[in-house]
Amino acid sequence: MDWSMLQQYGPSLLKGFANTIVCWALGTVFGMALGLVIALIQRYAPRWVTWIIQVYIEVIRGTPFLVQLFVLYYGGPLIGLRLDALPAGLLGLTIYGSPYFAEIFRSGFRAVPDGQIEAARAIGMAEGHIVRRILLPLGLVSALPALVNFSIILTKETVILSIITVPELLYQVQRMSAETFRYVEANLVLALFFWGLVETISRVGHRLEARITKHLIERT
Amino acid sequence: MLAASSVEMRKVNKFYGKFQALKDVDLSILPGKVTCLIGPSGSGKSTLLRCINFLEEYDSGEVRIDGQLIGYEAPNKKMSGRKLREMRRSIGMVFQQFNLWPHMTAKENVAEGLIRVRRMSKADAERRAVEALAKVGLADKMANHPSRLSGGQQQRVAIARAIAMEPRLMLFDEPTSALDPELVGEVLSVMRTLAGEGMTMVVVTHEMGFAAHVADQVGFMEKGELVGVDSPDRILHHPQDARIQSFLRTYHERNSF
Amino acid sequence: MFSLAVFLQSFEPLLWAARYTLLISILGIGLGLVIGTLVCAARLSPYPLLRRFAAIWVSFLRGVPLLVQLLVFYYALPVIGLDVPAMVAAVVTVGICASAYISEIWRGAIAALPRGQAEAAVAIGMTPFDVWIRVILPQAVTLSLPALINELILLVKASSLVSVVGILEITRASQAQAATTFRPLEVYIAAACIYLVINLCLAALGRYLEHRTAV
Repeated sequence: MDWSMLQQYGPSLLKGFANTIVCWALGTVFGMALGLVIALIQRYAPRWVTWIIQVYIEVIRGTPFLVQLFVLYYGGPLIGLRLDALPAGLLGLTIYGSPYFAEIFRSGFRAVPDGQIEAARAIGMAEGHIVRRILLPLGLVSALPALVNFSIILTKETVILSIITVPELLYQVQRMSAETFRYVEANLVLALFFWGLVETISRVGHRLEARITKHLIERT
Repeated sequence: MLAASSVEMRKVNKFYGKFQALKDVDLSILPGKVTCLIGPSGSGKSTLLRCINFLEEYDSGEVRIDGQLIGYEAPNKKMSGRKLREMRRSIGMVFQQFNLWPHMTAKENVAEGLIRVRRMSKADAERRAVEALAKVGLADKMANHPSRLSGGQQQRVAIARAIAMEPRLMLFDEPTSALDPELVGEVLSVMRTLAGEGMTMVVVTHEMGFAAHVADQVGFMEKGELVGVDSPDRILHHPQDARIQSFLRTYHERNSF
Repeated sequence: MFSLAVFLQSFEPLLWAARYTLLISILGIGLGLVIGTLVCAARLSPYPLLRRFAAIWVSFLRGVPLLVQLLVFYYALPVIGLDVPAMVAAVVTVGICASAYISEIWRGAIAALPRGQAEAAVAIGMTPFDVWIRVILPQAVTLSLPALINELILLVKASSLVSVVGILEITRASQAQAATTFRPLEVYIAAACIYLVINLCLAALGRYLEHRTAV
């Protein structure tokens, strides 16, 4: 491994890494938000609306992420949607994750015992309050492990953004290896880097989730 | 003590698909009196109780609270959510599974309804909550989460949660069925106090002792029918109907030693 | 705006390319099943070294994005001197990656089996090997069928990534098509439709199998 190469490309690799983190973080947050909205709509909306949502979910889950990105980034301009690579990637990641997050939230909601919702209805609480004070807090606690798991999966999906020229880590590594002809080392190191990253996030994520769960259940 | 509500149920029917859970039930709940509903499991007692606050939607007949129809504006026209919530504010309900919210302390559980539904300030709500908890003997446990309370304590908090809303009618759905025997007494004692204060109460229970000593009228249900409703003495000690006799006989067999 | 003509015309070349998508997915999961079974056996074996190796295998292949795995393989092969057609490289990479997930699916299914099953078999004197083949494996397979079909669906979607190593499956073909028609929107939506149909069929197959094997 040629370390001088790292020195030369260090800044651009760091920039790539920063972009990966940004895309992952924002994609996860927005994806979760959209997923939550979808889950709530599925719970409260009339039949025909949930039908449309179901179609959306099936389409997003049934097609490859890469093809979705192509439709957004390359096909978008044809209907007036002109986005730069990074915003397109972010939008793509958000949309891609939303049905998975929605399903996770739905499971979380289902795990809240009906009785606790009934008790709230029995004292005349409005549905909005029931969602805010009972359904969401308790549903979130149930959903936390799955939310953490899926956001870890999303970290790996960010590399696909490189194909639509989002300057994240893989993109920078590809550029570096194209200029130095060190394809194998570069990608191997990247592989090891991702392995370490995912393992670390996994462990930290699960530890954090245990603490948040404890905190949410016993707020003393 | 606030004025107590009366409940009139006329020809109430409820179907689950083809299965008829309630058959033409007529029942009057007198204000300030305790009505107990007894009978075998699946007889429809809980279903009938839950029709009173429309947690179960009855299909035909009328349920009137203080003369006002609940759940429907007119036959086949359901009441608006807002009106239903308004009516429910004066009805308290205690569930078999307590249904306390696990992420809130006892005090927060009791105050929640006051803050969200009665729109009290947090300070006022908490003060009222503490009073209600004191009434059921749990003022010292107000900072505890349900997970750190015994079953009997949880149920008493649930009762406090209901009475803090100053209801005119209290519904109890098998309040002690999920409790260990030694914890039943503390809950029945609170219920007795409430009855003594003149609260209209409808209690679905298997506790015959409570029905015999505290109830003003006892109704026996079987297979969706209200077979008989009368004074505790007549239903429990001198039942005329063979079905009631058979039920009580089985009960005595299982419970005496 | 949206040209229906281009959309419909794209289907012919894309369906032609779909053969490769299906080929890679099916061969991939086939390879993944074989290797995955071995890895799972290693993970559950009584030899600590083997267990360690298998755990690292699973951890690495699930931690590294498939795209990176493809690129490593693609670039590494000429260096090692292996002149393998891109198709083989792709199937092997996809299969190896799938093996890690399949190993975990097996593990989960075996763990979900009631202990009593194996105990009953041992009690009547079956050999450990027989217990595995006749009692544990068949039930594990039934339990994992939904997860395996799901894995196949994931592989079909993942196959879109082998486009970067030049294989003319659906995604690559759609890129070529978009370049010639200058209408990427219609072409990529057509590609999406084909993937969707394949996956919906697989999902239906999964539900059918679940029904038939329900105990």
